Amino acid sequence: MSELIKFKDVTKTYEVGEKKFKALDKCSFTINKGEFVVILGPSGAGKSTLLNLLGGMDTVTSGKITVNDSIISEYNNKELTRYRAENVGFIFQFYNILPSLTVYENVELVKDIVKKPKNAKTVLKEVGLGEHLNKFPNQLSGGEQQRVAIARAIAKDPDIILADEPTGALDSKTGVEILKLLKKQCDSNNGNNTVIIVTHNTLIADIADRVIRLKNGKVESSTVNRKPKSIDEVKW
Amino acid sequence: MLKRKMLRDIRNNISQYITIFLMVLIGIFAYTGIKAYMLGMDKSAKIYYEENNLQDMDLYGEFDDDDIEEISKMKHVENVSGKISLPSLASHKDNKLSIYYINNNDVSKFYVIDGKKFDIDEKGLWLDSYYADLNNIKVGDKITINYEGYEFKKKVVGLIDVPDLVYYVKDDSEVFPAHKSYGFVYMSVNALDKEIFTKLSGKELDDYEKYIRYSSLLIDLDSKDNRKTFKEKIIELDNVNACFNSEDLLSYDSYQREMDEGKTYVGVFSGLFIFIALLSVVTTMTRVVRKDRTIIGTLKALGYSDIRIAIHYLSYGVFLSIIAAVIGIVLGYFLMGNFFVKMEMEYYVVPNPKAYIDSSTYLVAILVILGVVIATLLSTYKVLIKNAAETLRVERPNVKTTKVNIIERKLFKHLSFSSRWNIRDILRSKARTIMGLVGIVGCMILLVAATGMNDTMKNYLNLEFNIINNYEYKLNLSNYGEDALKELKDKYGDNTSKSQLIEFKYNDDIISNNIFVNDSNSSYRIVDSNDKEIKLKDDGIYITRKLADKYNLKVGDTIEWRILGTNKYYISPIIGLSKDPQNQNIVMTKEYYESLDLEYIPDSLYTNKKVNVGKHIDGVGSIQSIDDISKGINNMLSTMMAMIFLIIFIAILLGTVIIYNMGILSFTEKNYQFATLKVLGFSDKKISKIFIEQNLWVAILAIVIGLPLGYYTLSYIFYAALGDAYDFEAYISLLSYVLSAIGTFVMTMLVSIYLTRKIKKIDMVTSLKGNE
Repeated sequence: MSELIKFKDVTKTYEVGEKKFKALDKCSFTINKGEFVVILGPSGAGKSTLLNLLGGMDTVTSGKITVNDSIISEYNNKELTRYRAENVGFIFQFYNILPSLTVYENVELVKDIVKKPKNAKTVLKEVGLGEHLNKFPNQLSGGEQQRVAIARAIAKDPDIILADEPTGALDSKTGVEILKLLKKQCDSNNGNNTVIIVTHNTLIADIADRVIRLKNGKVESSTVNRKPKSIDEVKW
Repeated sequence: MLKRKMLRDIRNNISQYITIFLMVLIGIFAYTGIKAYMLGMDKSAKIYYEENNLQDMDLYGEFDDDDIEEISKMKHVENVSGKISLPSLASHKDNKLSIYYINNNDVSKFYVIDGKKFDIDEKGLWLDSYYADLNNIKVGDKITINYEGYEFKKKVVGLIDVPDLVYYVKDDSEVFPAHKSYGFVYMSVNALDKEIFTKLSGKELDDYEKYIRYSSLLIDLDSKDNRKTFKEKIIELDNVNACFNSEDLLSYDSYQREMDEGKTYVGVFSGLFIFIALLSVVTTMTRVVRKDRTIIGTLKALGYSDIRIAIHYLSYGVFLSIIAAVIGIVLGYFLMGNFFVKMEMEYYVVPNPKAYIDSSTYLVAILVILGVVIATLLSTYKVLIKNAAETLRVERPNVKTTKVNIIERKLFKHLSFSSRWNIRDILRSKARTIMGLVGIVGCMILLVAATGMNDTMKNYLNLEFNIINNYEYKLNLSNYGEDALKELKDKYGDNTSKSQLIEFKYNDDIISNNIFVNDSNSSYRIVDSNDKEIKLKDDGIYITRKLADKYNLKVGDTIEWRILGTNKYYISPIIGLSKDPQNQNIVMTKEYYESLDLEYIPDSLYTNKKVNVGKHIDGVGSIQSIDDISKGINNMLSTMMAMIFLIIFIAILLGTVIIYNMGILSFTEKNYQFATLKVLGFSDKKISKIFIEQNLWVAILAIVIGLPLGYYTLSYIFYAALGDAYDFEAYISLLSYVLSAIGTFVMTMLVSIYLTRKIKKIDMVTSLKGNE
């Protein structure tokens, strides 16, 4: 498998008042194409920062991030916008879908930014929302809203899906279903899609191809799981 | 898809978008309306003057047909029209008429409403169309006119308006036209009767036609630019006493002054309206963008470019503003503009009056829309410059700890929780507080100025009718012999005055003005700047303070002056300054006047004895009762009241929106904090109290700032709006201040209370979860 993502000595510093705070401290790791990756760590470890940098939503203080042989850490704003639009599908803990658009419209929205999106209806059927196309977000449960967010990410047909605590706000049963959807997405397209999940839930690590552990802004370990369990095997 | 989002967002938050819509609409409506009204006045009159060939100059003196012939042949002269104005007013029933005879109608042409055009051989008369209309006189009717005891009956052959009589009153002491009781009549000079000739000349001649002399000539030049050259030539002629430009005509000048006055309203009021409207749009758009912060973050994360997001948020306000601006212009023009123009035409006579619109109106509309664009861009920009990750995080108040701590240590200990909360909140969101403050101050200014306008007018009426004019009737004397005067004095008392046109030297210029020789024994009082009567002394002259200001004169200076049409100059010392709301002139006593070897021939007699206004009295040209004058003024004031109510209404509307906006803006920002307080166990009532308290503080501060600013605005209006001739002091009664303050206060209170309904609706769970 070819190398997709490479972090080299990535540091991110925030300034709070006069104090400087290192959210990430010289992080280095690689992720291969088609992997299902779990980034683990307690809160405050720098997980979300890492994901934001990878998603092109924030810029590094120092270090180098390479994606698909392009150095995205050197991208300007315009290039980052294009990168976000074409390469990344982002899934948030609190879904962040637009309240004034229907389920269908929320997914159809990606037409505005991607040249060849997937058919919104098909994608929504895939995530099991075929019956709810014309509902508004506030008429849906949390799990259903997260599916809309997943459908929106999938519809862009991106190389990478980034999910920030996608099950964090959900009960375990719904969480499992969401994970299944993400896994399915990873396996589709001949196993060429990469899914990266940030979580503090260690159980999810068992199903991952690769587990990256963060602690205090540093990469503690990056291990490849030789025999990942199937989702149904894990006791939640 | 974002278009759909916009439409749905607008539908879901309809009230705030109605706000934007209404604010732009009202701002532009008010501006367009007032502007279209002023422009309508200006253009309608210009077209009228142009089409009916208003004279370029008036010559006064005594002219026969040969003089007219001679002047017609002079360089630059295109047309000359001879005019005889009968010196006294004629009576028709209980009403008064001015009578004019003309030899042609090439200059200042009739605007014929009904009947025939001017015809030199016509023996009938042309009648003032307003007078005819109000007295129900039609073409073909015969009316009986009494001129100084001579009665004649004439057929009305036409109803007309005349461009040099756009504004006309019985005499100079009357300010507001009363078209029902006073009008004008034009006749051909060929219809001038022998009896009238006798009254004019004092001679009884059978071939009187040969001796008819015109008292004025209306001159039409090839270009107004040649007036100076013409004037220099014409003044050499012996029989020319005076020469005036058309701009000096009472009619032209009064109309012009009315417009100048209006122009200040355009500036002050519509400027304020637009400013406040823009301010409320800014607050609304800031609120919309703030509220959508995480949505902006999401769109960014999805890969939308900053420009597309900005355009999306622009489309909200701009789309609505454009519609509102268009409607505002249309309504302002058709409704308000035309309404005010029509209202003015109760006093001024301009045919086909209508409102006009010019490019500046469109420009202002475009600027307002541009203002909305900039406001939206700025508030969007603030969110957009941050990167997507930061945008998605909750906005935290930017707290400068040190500052708050100082206050905390010294004052906070003694304050209640809500006061502490509000002080911190105000310090943290200065921009919002200042915007709200400015908005309420704006409303306060409007309220104070509008109510103060009313006070000022009342104050003026009091000065005019309770202090200055201290008589029941004023007899305007004309053509009287000594016997008649003596008889009048015996019957009505010896309180007289005389007005005299003069010229005085100022640097290298000669300034036209008039002197008022006062021998009225306090029937017409001269007052100082404190409205106290001045006991006039006999060793010099008094000038009104506004005149003194204009020409840099002060007590102790001297003025070199001469009576208009003569060459002898007098040098008089200024011994005092007086104040007169309506005439800026020079005042002296009869004794001082006579000490200059000038003969005092009174032209007015003041009396408190009962006078029959309708009856002809020998030696009296016209009679004015003080009641009639005050009725006329009160009539005019009712027009002004309509304007004042409109301003107050708009001020309250704008104020409500500003306060509502400010409230809801702070509410959106504090939703999370309020939810937290609620979770902690604060009652809705307590939270409401905190919320209302802050708005009240801002309102009180705004009231304190707004009161003096309102006074200055009003002073400016009266200073700038009323030209040199008037001297009105802005006066605002305590009651008006109090009412304006209470109005603003109550308005703030009501809106705040209304907003606290939202506190009950705060859903603790979602507000807190959404902000994790």
